[in-house]
Amino acid sequence: MSSVLVLNLAWQISTLALVALGLAIVFGKLQIMNMAHGEFVMIGAYAPVITSSLGLPAWLQVPVCLLTVALVAFVLERTIIRHLYGRMFDSLLATWGIAILLREAVELIFGRGYQSVTPPISGTISVLGADYPAYRIAVILGILAGFVALFWWNSRSKVATRIKAMVGNPDLAEAVGINTARLSAGAFIFGCCTAGLAGLILAPTIRIEPMMGLDYLIRSFFALVVGGLGTLEGLGIGAGIIAGTQSVLGAVANQTYGYLAVLTLSILFLWLKPDGIRSSSR
Amino acid sequence: MLKATTKLFASAAVALALGTVSAAADIKVGVLVPDSGPAGLFGPSTRNSATLAAEQINAGGGINGEAIELVFADVGVPPAEAAQAALRLWKGEGAQAFVGMHDSAVREALIGRFNGQVPYVYTPVYEGNSCAPGLYVTGETPSQQLAPVIPYLAENEGASKWYLIGHDYNWPRDTNALAKNYIADAGGEVVGEEYVPFTVSEFDSSLQRIKESGADAILITLVGGGSVGFNVSFAGFGLEEQALRLGTLIEENTLAGIGAENADRLFSSSGYFASIASDAAVSFAADYTAAFGADAPALNGLGQSAYEGLMLLAALANKAGSLDVAAMDAAAEGTTWSTPRGENTLTGRHMAQTIYLADGSGGTFDIVASFDKVASSEACAD
Repeated sequence: MSSVLVLNLAWQISTLALVALGLAIVFGKLQIMNMAHGEFVMIGAYAPVITSSLGLPAWLQVPVCLLTVALVAFVLERTIIRHLYGRMFDSLLATWGIAILLREAVELIFGRGYQSVTPPISGTISVLGADYPAYRIAVILGILAGFVALFWWNSRSKVATRIKAMVGNPDLAEAVGINTARLSAGAFIFGCCTAGLAGLILAPTIRIEPMMGLDYLIRSFFALVVGGLGTLEGLGIGAGIIAGTQSVLGAVANQTYGYLAVLTLSILFLWLKPDGIRSSSR
Repeated sequence: MLKATTKLFASAAVALALGTVSAAADIKVGVLVPDSGPAGLFGPSTRNSATLAAEQINAGGGINGEAIELVFADVGVPPAEAAQAALRLWKGEGAQAFVGMHDSAVREALIGRFNGQVPYVYTPVYEGNSCAPGLYVTGETPSQQLAPVIPYLAENEGASKWYLIGHDYNWPRDTNALAKNYIADAGGEVVGEEYVPFTVSEFDSSLQRIKESGADAILITLVGGGSVGFNVSFAGFGLEEQALRLGTLIEENTLAGIGAENADRLFSSSGYFASIASDAAVSFAADYTAAFGADAPALNGLGQSAYEGLMLLAALANKAGSLDVAAMDAAAEGTTWSTPRGENTLTGRHMAQTIYLADGSGGTFDIVASFDKVASSEACAD
């Protein structure tokens, strides 16, 4: 029994960390309170629907997902988002509007109905003495590898420092030779693409419909509130606490208490420790 | 884009057809549909089904010799706003009767607003026991969906250890309270019961409990997206080999979201499926496709219920000879009429009807059993 609980925990934490990563970049680094984050997850989840309706082979799902999300993110960044860097409250309103627009656009193209996606790996395998879906095991390992690579790159790259300089003082950043337009667009699109990828990866395990994004936005925010903005460790800790609380309480008590505990934790953190456990601003 | 344009022309054509009818129409019937909100998915199929019913009623001589015209309002909104919208149709546009496909909260608000002064047919699946002057119900209640089906599954599929899971509100709780009696009567037992909040979209811990309970049958009263998420994960964990699933609100859209590969031994109990093979149902589906095109929103039990509602209204008003509530209430008991669902009788203001059990394995509903003239035990005393 307990081995399934451990695997469920690993699944919940790793997928939440992946979903929240894009928000951590866009919200934590660019200070854009991206209320449309969940909609990028949703668009990513529709990628297999796009490929199958166009009759494309399944291996094109990843490029189609990344291209679609990147295109949408690029257009939005150039037309709307770039005017809002550092203006957190304005960006909240603007991206909320964008979220509604994206939901309506997807509804117009694919309809309101549910879509379903077949997992690339089906069946269950025996892990630690428990039968667990093989696809989930592959995803957990993949996300783990992805985060290790990201951590390694992040500790060597100067991109994070340049972004911080750009958001803090755009004029000075330009003066020292940082191409702020390209850097900000790049960071925004990268953040949105990780959200889209999260949607694509989750697609075979969830419901897919135009309104699905809201779930992911809210849980991602909770993870960031608890973990703190700006660091990968904070993201991991936040995802661990939020997903862990829901999973463990959901298993030993029931789902209502799990959800209640997550809400209570988030409120307590906002009230008593608004910077979260780990934050780059400290 | 081409599809969208075709749809636009198709609906314009329907609007024109309706417009020509309305020139001669005398009786306006208010049709309350969810265009927005959580049930908005069912708005288009509900409108289409109602439109088809009006055409057929008018082709058959209308209500007491007068043609009818439909006037629509969106009730996928909070109850107070829905009641306002209905009031506008009633007092503003002169609607003389109502047919509604919406949730129970809106129904209670409308009963208060109508106050027995105008006939009102309530059509979707619901928890039962709603009674008021002028209110007639076509929707299936839990007793109709479960009383014949649970013994059938016990006998033919060996279902004996039931796990009950639903969203946390009155319809699942009322359904499960009844289900426990039928399960006990069929010699089975309940090995678990669980209610989850609407905000939960992960069911891992519930699935673990189901696995440990040793259940061989699951009664699902989760609705909409929750049902899709639960069933996808259920199959992901390979639980379909351990237990069959029975849902009382799994219709064609939900099944499409669950997906063919996740629907093995997933049963659904309902008064209507698009795949019913009777002559009446097949010709209804053909008329629907002819009127709204092959890309029209898929037929399903909720959308189609608006057709049933209008047919009940016509049958009852013709029997009573008027749309007066007192006359209709007096004539209501024992009214019979037939529709794509089968032969129907009004007993206790609720519709005794044929109940179909369908197997969703392979992603399409296969009717495996039908039970004729199933009356509701949650009907009204008078």
